[in-house]
Amino acid sequence: MTYVHAKHDAPTTFWSKYIVSYDHKVIAKQFLWYGIFFLGVGGLMALLIRWTLAFPGQPFPVIGHMLFPHTDGVVPPDTYAMLFSLHGTIMIFYAITPILIGAFGNYCIPLMIGARDMAFPLLNMLSFHFAALSGLILLASLFLPLGGAAAGWTSYPTLSTLIGSPGLGQTFWCLAIFVLGISSTMGAINYITTIISFRAPGMGYFDMPLTIWGLWLTAILNAIFIPVLGAGVLLLLFDRLFGTTFFLAGAAATSGTGDPILFQHVFWIFGHPEVYILILPAWGIVSDLLSFFARKPAFGYKATALSMTAVTVLSTLVYGHHMFTTQMSPLLTQTFMTLTMTISIPSAVFFANWLGTIWRGSIRFDSPMLFALGVVFVFGLGGLTGLYLGTVTTDLYLHDTYFVVGHFHYTMAASVLLGGFAATYFWFPKMFGRMMNETWAKVHFWLTMIGLNGVFFGMMVVGWGGMHRRLYNPFVYEFMEKLIPMNTFITWSAILMGIGQLPFVYNFIHSMFYGEKASENPWQVGTLEWTLPSPPIHYNFEEIPVVKCGPHEFGNPNLNNGRDFQYQTEELVKGPQA
Amino acid sequence: MMFDLSRLMMNPWKMNAGLLDAFYPPKDISTNGHLIDFLFYYTTAMNIFFFTLVCLGLFGFSYLYHHKRHPKPYYTHGNKKKQILITTLIGLAVFFGIDATITSISNQDLVNTFWKFPTEEEKPVKVEVLAQQWMWTFRHPGEDGEFNTADDILVNHDLHLPVNRKIEFRITSKDVIHSFYLPNTRLKVDAIPGRVTRMWVELTEPGVYDIACAEMCGTHHYLMKGRLIVHSEEDYLAWKAEASRIAKYENDTDNPEFYWGWKWGNN
Repeated sequence: MTYVHAKHDAPTTFWSKYIVSYDHKVIAKQFLWYGIFFLGVGGLMALLIRWTLAFPGQPFPVIGHMLFPHTDGVVPPDTYAMLFSLHGTIMIFYAITPILIGAFGNYCIPLMIGARDMAFPLLNMLSFHFAALSGLILLASLFLPLGGAAAGWTSYPTLSTLIGSPGLGQTFWCLAIFVLGISSTMGAINYITTIISFRAPGMGYFDMPLTIWGLWLTAILNAIFIPVLGAGVLLLLFDRLFGTTFFLAGAAATSGTGDPILFQHVFWIFGHPEVYILILPAWGIVSDLLSFFARKPAFGYKATALSMTAVTVLSTLVYGHHMFTTQMSPLLTQTFMTLTMTISIPSAVFFANWLGTIWRGSIRFDSPMLFALGVVFVFGLGGLTGLYLGTVTTDLYLHDTYFVVGHFHYTMAASVLLGGFAATYFWFPKMFGRMMNETWAKVHFWLTMIGLNGVFFGMMVVGWGGMHRRLYNPFVYEFMEKLIPMNTFITWSAILMGIGQLPFVYNFIHSMFYGEKASENPWQVGTLEWTLPSPPIHYNFEEIPVVKCGPHEFGNPNLNNGRDFQYQTEELVKGPQA
Repeated sequence: MMFDLSRLMMNPWKMNAGLLDAFYPPKDISTNGHLIDFLFYYTTAMNIFFFTLVCLGLFGFSYLYHHKRHPKPYYTHGNKKKQILITTLIGLAVFFGIDATITSISNQDLVNTFWKFPTEEEKPVKVEVLAQQWMWTFRHPGEDGEFNTADDILVNHDLHLPVNRKIEFRITSKDVIHSFYLPNTRLKVDAIPGRVTRMWVELTEPGVYDIACAEMCGTHHYLMKGRLIVHSEEDYLAWKAEASRIAKYENDTDNPEFYWGWKWGNN
């Protein structure tokens, strides 16, 4: 059964239109600005970290003296620990999640499935407001007397309990993550309900764009596992505030016998699916864009959707590979290793389908396509390098080294970031009614691509060289002295990548006001959002559309309507050979 | 903010190392490190093979099917029998080419080597390791061969070991989680408060090497560095005799904190 929203008048005041809006399109933009802001904060932190690693003891240029007046502009070691902890937290929870899931999830789901809004518009608004509150708590923690959380983004106890982290920073962190968890859970159940109940008549699950598949699977993982993280940080909060001892053990714990490893189990039961929570929307978007710009139906659509589903299921069963060095029982270790390896079957299948999609296509290299192809490249590298870490013996050496850092940045940062940029360039015309500048987009692509490969490949190299993570100054170790030139190279690459984002910021803001006016369907694509004016009207659809064919109908030789694609509202053109 | 700037003053441009030096791991000084290196190189070879295929597809198709060269796309949904078969074969090729192989090699290495702890008959050198912020302490049994007795040899920062003997570590932590990392043997294991973890190695080359803490353990994590001093067998015995002699009058056996160790047992 399909549900339809009743229509109300469009809001007219600034307050009701932009702050307490129920409109999924406005909430999407709120999340987009929020995500881009935190991307900037997290990116600056990354540069501070990289600067310290390449030029230890030298003041950070330009703003160093302002940020660290007591050390003549040099990042001090306690601040360094806070920087990498919050860099991880911010990038994962406050930049990537809001952009990919908050912004594009909110924007695309109703428009692409032919709905007037999300199933629960009020919940949707609250989801953003909770995210905003959480962001404020996290930012406030930076100004506490002892600084923000500094126990790593994973916040392992007992380092994250009072034994290792006095001060309020870690408490604020727990609180911020808990509040953000509420926001994500609200979003997730909203997405799931919307996709199940509000698809336009005629749209079966296998008629949905793959973007929606990705977002749907992500929402399911979010709904199941974010509450687990919430429970974990709540227990941690209890240990910090109320004297419980869930995670305390050892001589420094004056009372109680908990188990710090328990937290790792709870954290990674959530944490491993989280990797897929972040990457699934990007996979979906890439699967669609490759087809859209190769002007050819998605190769093996059903196999891609089902492989993504298989990965989603498997992702819940492999978390133990993050804990090989804690010496779990041999049986658990072997089981997690084997289960981890099975993920490569479905991954290889949709990877092959991606290449199958561009095979014998007629490829247009517009900026969204460039970024989508970039995802294929970096995710290939990221996926394959995961093999070393799923294998127990190589993991014993590589665990907690920069190899891991390089690997997960390829999968979670590079792939998701490029996926997010692809989505931004692709849907910008629909969101703001104007086109972004192609030349600047291409400059942005190449600078980002060269920079990020320098950074993340370099990280894997120094990891193989033995350099472990989270070191303020790695070069106190003799065996790492030979890694200094490579670390300097990584930092220059990071600076290049940072500079590469300036064209994007300029292009984004400039195009919003002065970009060329976008037509209804600038990319000539048949999914439902492109049947609407750019930007779409309040409540999207005057008439709820009826879906009659799949989302990737390109290049059908029987088409004779002057286009090379069909809208999803059109009956599939059949001919003798179709 | 109190910390010593001078120790950080290192000029990267005066180093003799080049970019390519980063591609080599630290020198392997153990009997089994080569197993891990081999698996790494095997996986790398297979990865290069498959990633080359990906790149051939990615760049090759991008070139061949650029819309200017190839204006008419081939209309297919990729759900013909032959196409499904090829996709499935690719999936299985990756799984059996890399995953299944490295899983079974790794499993064999674990069962036959890394989890095969030395037995009493092999007379392993036994060391209890205590990690704390930000220091390693190593406890060797004294002349009585028993742990946690008054004649134990306790050494901070420095770990003295002989070549050509199996060495078993039992490791715990006093405060937060640390990780006992010997880069030159390719091994590490976490030091966890409230638990004892184990690791064994056999060393082949005398010399002085780094011991690192691989798990984030607080502000001075990066300074939690120890020295692994590998002696020839004679030198080791000489060191141990001397250390035992010193221990007799230096051990503060009235302090209950001295007895942080435990009976070796079968744990």
